[in-house]
Amino acid sequence: MKSKMLLSVLLIVAMILSACGGGGSGSSGETADGKIVIKYINGFTGGDGEYMKKITDGFNESQDQYVVEESQEKDHYTKFKTGSYDLVLIHSDNLQTYRQDNMIQDMGSVLEAAGISPDDFHPVAKEQVTFEGATFAAPLDIHPMTMFYNKQLAPEAPMTYEAMTDLTNTLQEQDSNLYATGIPSGGLPEWFYMTIAAQNNINLVEGNHLNFAQDEFADALMIYHDMIYKDNISPAGLGLDGEFQAFMKQVDEGGSSVQTATALTGPWYYQAVKEAYGDDLGIASAPQLGDQPGVYGGGHTLALPASVQDEEKKAGIAEFLKYMYTPENLLNWADSGQAPTHLATIELVEQDAEKYPLAAQNVQQFDSFVGAPQLYQYREQVRYMTESVFPQLVGDEGMTKDKLMSELQKATDQAAQVAETAPQ
Amino acid sequence: MGGISFLPDEMPFYLTDGGVLRTMRISRTWSIIMYLPFLICFVLFLIVPLVYGIWISLHSWSVFGGNGGFVGLDNYIAILTPGNIYSTSFYLGLKNTLVFVAISVIPLVVISLALALLVDAIPKKLKVYFRTIFFISYAVSVTAVSAIFKWLFTGNGGYVNNVMNSIGLSPINWLNEQPYAWVSILVATIWWTIGFNMILFINALDEVDETMYEASSLDGANWWEKFAYITFPSIKGVFVFLTIISVIASFNLYGQTLLITAGGPAQSTQSLIMVIQQMVFTQNNLGIGSAMAIVMGLVMMAIVAAQYFYSFRKE
Repeated sequence: MKSKMLLSVLLIVAMILSACGGGGSGSSGETADGKIVIKYINGFTGGDGEYMKKITDGFNESQDQYVVEESQEKDHYTKFKTGSYDLVLIHSDNLQTYRQDNMIQDMGSVLEAAGISPDDFHPVAKEQVTFEGATFAAPLDIHPMTMFYNKQLAPEAPMTYEAMTDLTNTLQEQDSNLYATGIPSGGLPEWFYMTIAAQNNINLVEGNHLNFAQDEFADALMIYHDMIYKDNISPAGLGLDGEFQAFMKQVDEGGSSVQTATALTGPWYYQAVKEAYGDDLGIASAPQLGDQPGVYGGGHTLALPASVQDEEKKAGIAEFLKYMYTPENLLNWADSGQAPTHLATIELVEQDAEKYPLAAQNVQQFDSFVGAPQLYQYREQVRYMTESVFPQLVGDEGMTKDKLMSELQKATDQAAQVAETAPQ
Repeated sequence: MGGISFLPDEMPFYLTDGGVLRTMRISRTWSIIMYLPFLICFVLFLIVPLVYGIWISLHSWSVFGGNGGFVGLDNYIAILTPGNIYSTSFYLGLKNTLVFVAISVIPLVVISLALALLVDAIPKKLKVYFRTIFFISYAVSVTAVSAIFKWLFTGNGGYVNNVMNSIGLSPINWLNEQPYAWVSILVATIWWTIGFNMILFINALDEVDETMYEASSLDGANWWEKFAYITFPSIKGVFVFLTIISVIASFNLYGQTLLITAGGPAQSTQSLIMVIQQMVFTQNNLGIGSAMAIVMGLVMMAIVAAQYFYSFRKE
């Protein structure tokens, strides 16, 4: 009887453990036909995902030694942190954090094996991936703030504050619910305040953290408040992704909806706006609202996880990068609307600007592009500024410079504390 | 019945024969085997994570770097002592969560009770249809619910504002101004979860003895008196239970605020669970995140215990 009981207990434990255990396929790093598996994770779950898939599929078809298993995940950072991958997509503003946390490694030797030099990329992209002289990622693209405009409402893109004012005055004469552009309180505030800092040549970095509490920055920021409450360039009360939603709206006579003639937003909305406006869609650079040209945005890079030590894997990754950074293959990425930073690919994009209108437009912004500073936990450092200060700036009609400065000081204090959490 | 009537016949056998005692022991063994799966799962999936969570909260623990060493109560001191990023985030999340608990529990319980009373009053043939219709919303995922209510309450051209505009009312910036953002989240939550509470209330109402209503009618009791002196005392246990689980559910506010308001406007709907999620998955600080989760659990337990003792204090 005791043996029966023991058997039963063992059976139950085995069942539970087998239920708890994950699938083991692929853990050896090789497929059944002996190909070495490269596990590549990214967050391309939108329209651009299929274009990246074309590149990986093309590589896999060309290979008999390696195979890339691409995972496109909505929250790919969490998956990456809790899983095991050989190649990971990292946004350029996250590189410093992942580097300091030892999650990624210097990939200079892999790039060298792929025949890729940091000089093959636009200098602004090269700068983003270079840390203390070492290259920690392969730049893929830069996505700067982009202007989409509705040619029915704005025959030409308004590129200055004055042009914005003129446009809004013209539109308001037609319908009081029509505006030149929209300033949102959520979604892309970071792009708006970093762009105005760049256009006013304001350096927000102080040591290891961001210092928002600067007089000239407060002055520069107030332009967005004026655009809403003084010059009527933007409607008030636009919320999360409001700049895009207002651009996509159609005003009805007597209705309460507001519509904007332009949207200062991310290039990932290209497919949606193209579908909505067709030939009436115009694409332009971000307008110059400050003293000098300047635009902020994001960037994608490909990084090598610190856990990858197997030389065969590294050789496979090098092969994949060699294939991807062949201009004819990387053109697929430009086809998705993204603007590659690879110089040879940029040339092809510019030669065929009609086929790649968005990428061709955005590569023109690279020279005035100012990316995120290389700071530890940059996204956490800007959190209070993005989620609390900017919404107050554009949502509170009674906002004054003094009140704003007090909030900017809070944002700076939080950024400084976040910076202190960096591993020593 | 048969089993009970046979027992006396077996008693002498049971008392005199050792074999019976052995049989009893075997029965106990098998009963252990039968509940062992539960016990193992309970330990593996409840006790171990809880103890492990407490253990992590006493360490400097990074998602990337792993265990950075024992720090005692430092993580708890950090989140409870004002003046640093951890306590600022924690108190903000706790305050927002308590606001939601305060505004949501009463409507969640009272509206579901009112619905249950309404459904209970309609003819039996129709009852099943209404019960199903009201319960369907509970089966919808939070993502779908949030998408629907985000569309309904969008300030610029949303459905609710269009309706208000058509009847001559000024539009409201539902998702970007307070208290409207809380109202939107509250309406979405009530619509989503009301069916569950309602079903439990209906089942409790079905158990109330009909003869008591008949007797009270003969005594001339009105609707309110019947509810106050018969219905409510009969379903009080379910009422307290639903109040307690509504408090717990409201404490766990996450999906609606993440998807409908993204924690805005100005972080005013950022719940404690959102803060913990950011702490662990963005700041990679598992030690602080675990400490926050433990403190949140203690706050919930304190509130629930107070509710429980208050509800049954007279008994």
